[in-house]
Amino acid sequence: MIQLSAVTKVYNAGKQNEFTALRNISMSIDPGRVTVLKGPSGSGKTTLLSIIGCMIRPTAGRVLVNGKEITSLPERFLTGTRRMTFGFVFQQFNLIKGLSVIENVMLPAFPCGDPYGTMKKRTLQILDILKIEDKAKSKIEWLSGGEAQRVSIARALMNDPEVIIADEPTAHLDTKLSEEFMDILGEMKSRGKTVLIASHDPIVYDCKIIDRVVEMRDGTITGSENRA
Amino acid sequence: MGWINKQRNILDFALNSLLRRKGKNSALFVVYTGIIFLVSSIIFSSESIKRESQILLENSPEVVVQRTIAGRHDLIPEQYIGQLKSIRGVQEVKGRLWGYYFEPGVQANYTFVVPDEFLYGPGYIVIGNGVSKTFLAGKGDILPFKTLDGSYTSLEVADILSPDSEIVSSDLILLSEYDFRKVTGMQKGFYTDMILKVRNTRELQAITDKIRRILPDTRPITRNEIMRTYEAIFDWRSGILLAVISGAAFAFIIFAWDKATGLSSEEKKEIGILKGIGWETSDVLFMKTWEGLIISLSAFFLGVFFAYIHIYFASAFLFMPVLKGWSVLYPEFRLVPFLDMFQITTIFFLTVAPYTVATIIPSWRAATIDPDSVMRL
Amino acid sequence: MIIHPAVIALIAGSLMVSVMLLLSAFFGVSIFRSWDIRSGSELQLNLERKTYLISTLMMYVLWFQLASFFLFIFTADRLHELFVGAMCAAGTLNVNEYGYPALILKMVNFILAGLWLIVNYVDNRAYDYPLIKKKYALLLVITPFVFLEAAIQGLYFAGMKADLITSCCGSQFSSGEGTVASELASLPVIPLKIAFYSSIACTFMSGFIFLWKENSKGVLFSLASGITFLISIAAVISFFSLYLYELPTHHCPFCMLQREYRYLGYVFYLPLLCAAVTGSGVGVLASFRTIESLNDAVPVTQRKLIAVTLISYFLFSAVATYAMISSPLMLKGY
Repeated sequence: MIQLSAVTKVYNAGKQNEFTALRNISMSIDPGRVTVLKGPSGSGKTTLLSIIGCMIRPTAGRVLVNGKEITSLPERFLTGTRRMTFGFVFQQFNLIKGLSVIENVMLPAFPCGDPYGTMKKRTLQILDILKIEDKAKSKIEWLSGGEAQRVSIARALMNDPEVIIADEPTAHLDTKLSEEFMDILGEMKSRGKTVLIASHDPIVYDCKIIDRVVEMRDGTITGSENRA
Repeated sequence: MGWINKQRNILDFALNSLLRRKGKNSALFVVYTGIIFLVSSIIFSSESIKRESQILLENSPEVVVQRTIAGRHDLIPEQYIGQLKSIRGVQEVKGRLWGYYFEPGVQANYTFVVPDEFLYGPGYIVIGNGVSKTFLAGKGDILPFKTLDGSYTSLEVADILSPDSEIVSSDLILLSEYDFRKVTGMQKGFYTDMILKVRNTRELQAITDKIRRILPDTRPITRNEIMRTYEAIFDWRSGILLAVISGAAFAFIIFAWDKATGLSSEEKKEIGILKGIGWETSDVLFMKTWEGLIISLSAFFLGVFFAYIHIYFASAFLFMPVLKGWSVLYPEFRLVPFLDMFQITTIFFLTVAPYTVATIIPSWRAATIDPDSVMRL
Repeated sequence: MIIHPAVIALIAGSLMVSVMLLLSAFFGVSIFRSWDIRSGSELQLNLERKTYLISTLMMYVLWFQLASFFLFIFTADRLHELFVGAMCAAGTLNVNEYGYPALILKMVNFILAGLWLIVNYVDNRAYDYPLIKKKYALLLVITPFVFLEAAIQGLYFAGMKADLITSCCGSQFSSGEGTVASELASLPVIPLKIAFYSSIACTFMSGFIFLWKENSKGVLFSLASGITFLISIAAVISFFSLYLYELPTHHCPFCMLQREYRYLGYVFYLPLLCAAVTGSGVGVLASFRTIESLNDAVPVTQRKLIAVTLISYFLFSAVATYAMISSPLMLKGY
């Protein structure tokens, strides 16, 4: 469902501090599977996730999402594709303080222009799936680490995306919470979602739900292992 | 429908985001409201003084003829009446008697006026509200006036003018011609000035030319001239005041710019998150626009509202001295409330427009934060 | 020079609009030169970000133009007391030769800004931004107009001196003066009435044809709507004003904006200005129909614009006709 061919990303091109984050990457990601990008920090995992997730455009190369070329799309259309295709779980959860759980989860749907009632109904359903519906009205600051993590997953699911992208999701979690997180991702997988994770945490890449591990270093792919 | 829902959602978020940052926004809001208050106070007061004086002047004579000697206003001799009457198109000529009287006891200046027909006759006066207040005098009281030769003459208050026409009559003392000449020492056969009635206002120009020719030591002043001068003076005064205020406004714009550019790291992070989870640059721009609109409109209404109270209910105590500064108007009066689209639009252009322009680029900067910045936090 | 708060406001407004356009034009030039949608270079990403800024600036320019158009008339109206012979805005505008050009430029620039935003709107609906160069070329055309407006308005206010003798609506808009205004006023009423109602009918017809039939281009509608706009203005000056003022000789196009006439002028001019923008927008878009990526966006947008134009004209003609019918004035002998 996602194909990358010869993707390169250069920052500060032509300047003294020119830096090539990705070099000539070609790969494809199949639907319904869980893929891990494994590698040390600075290996280009996050940049690759950003390119796949339509957050940034590559300097060269082509990216196809569901057969549609997105490389030369202006931001306006890139964002639309991102919003409907990808759900993001960030390293720090990145929830907005001062807003309630339900408001945070709803945010990705705001630009879609659905009526408030519809959005709210869907949000409550998602919170129900993730078993945090009783916290719906709580402010973000009052949540425990595990609850915040669930909220951030709920937000990623808000627009019912095909793909969930998680960047170092367990970096700030203890073992128990990390395993819980992987369980939730396993459930998402069973619901037919494609999952893409960047991580160098063994709890993640040794987890049984993983179908494929792609190893990266210095902006290139150094190995790929299919498990399923 | 989708578009409206989307805007509603974004507006909702903008409102929420403003409330979450009360501390940061309230300083800006207070200064903003203050500027709008000042600008609208100036415009309201000058507009309504203008109105007031217009109403006043509409009842005044079409032409006033003054005699000048060495460029100074001087008494006009009775013989001139005949000469003025002989000009074609002049219907009626009347000599007027009026002047000022300084009362050392209360340190106040009063205006003596001899009306065309004074009902009460010599020995009596009719006084305005202000005079009645400073002298604590009512009907039937007797007030002493110092005449030119140093002696005193006593006049009885026959009536007090109704307070409705306060702006005109507050310091007025109406008295008979006999008493006027006695107190001021103005000789018989002379008047303060003369007023003319003309048959056809279109002939005004020709008539005033003629007056200047046959009576070279006089100066005819038409009502329109006075009106225009007043207008110009008030516009000029409020223009100057505005220029002074614009200094403050400029400082405010820099302040607004600074506030808008100096996004807190918290706010930057928030916008990064929004963009990361699927908000588009124009969505964030809309959010910023809504924020600006909420601040501007509430500051605008509040500022205009306070200015309205300041001018019409608190007698413009803050800067009346600057705007007035001439001797025909007096401190103790209420302006007639007067508000229209013209003033509102002007105020809007002088306050909200510069603020908005100053915040466009900072908002755009904030809105174009890279969506992947949230991945690099 | 007359220093009035509103004069300061107008000059400040023009300066702000000029600065905004200068900024837009400045970035517009770099977009015009280096735009390459296929590139993922940082320069291109930067240019794309600039397009958001320019759209926002132009949005504000449009609103500022509209507000300053009416504020300009307001101001002229308010300043009439300073000039001998001026009874309303018409007299003040006539104080020197820059008054009417400034007013007309304000209107033209409003329409131009509106057209730019329409083109921008459509362009943003195509994934490859096919109109980007045309759009910024148009921006470079608008910029000098806005500067000209600021300059002429400046000259107009600078050239004002109190006590100037001017002629007002009574003579400017009266028959037989030999000026454009007086010719508009002396147009024969019956033929003009027929022209007005038939042009309105034509506009509605061509509009409905577009809305119902698939393959029309919209050029016809745009033309009809443009002609209707001009005829409507002539009609306001020539006869609607007479019914409104209930005077057989008063043709002033400005007095009707005052309280005495229940601000009816706004109900006339706002829909007319709106229709001028949206109606001509339909025509401008018609030339972009052949662009592949705009195949869908253009007709959809044209439909919306036509709907807005028709609503505007309907509002205008309904109010104007009502004013005419309910007026006690009968124009006999025309």
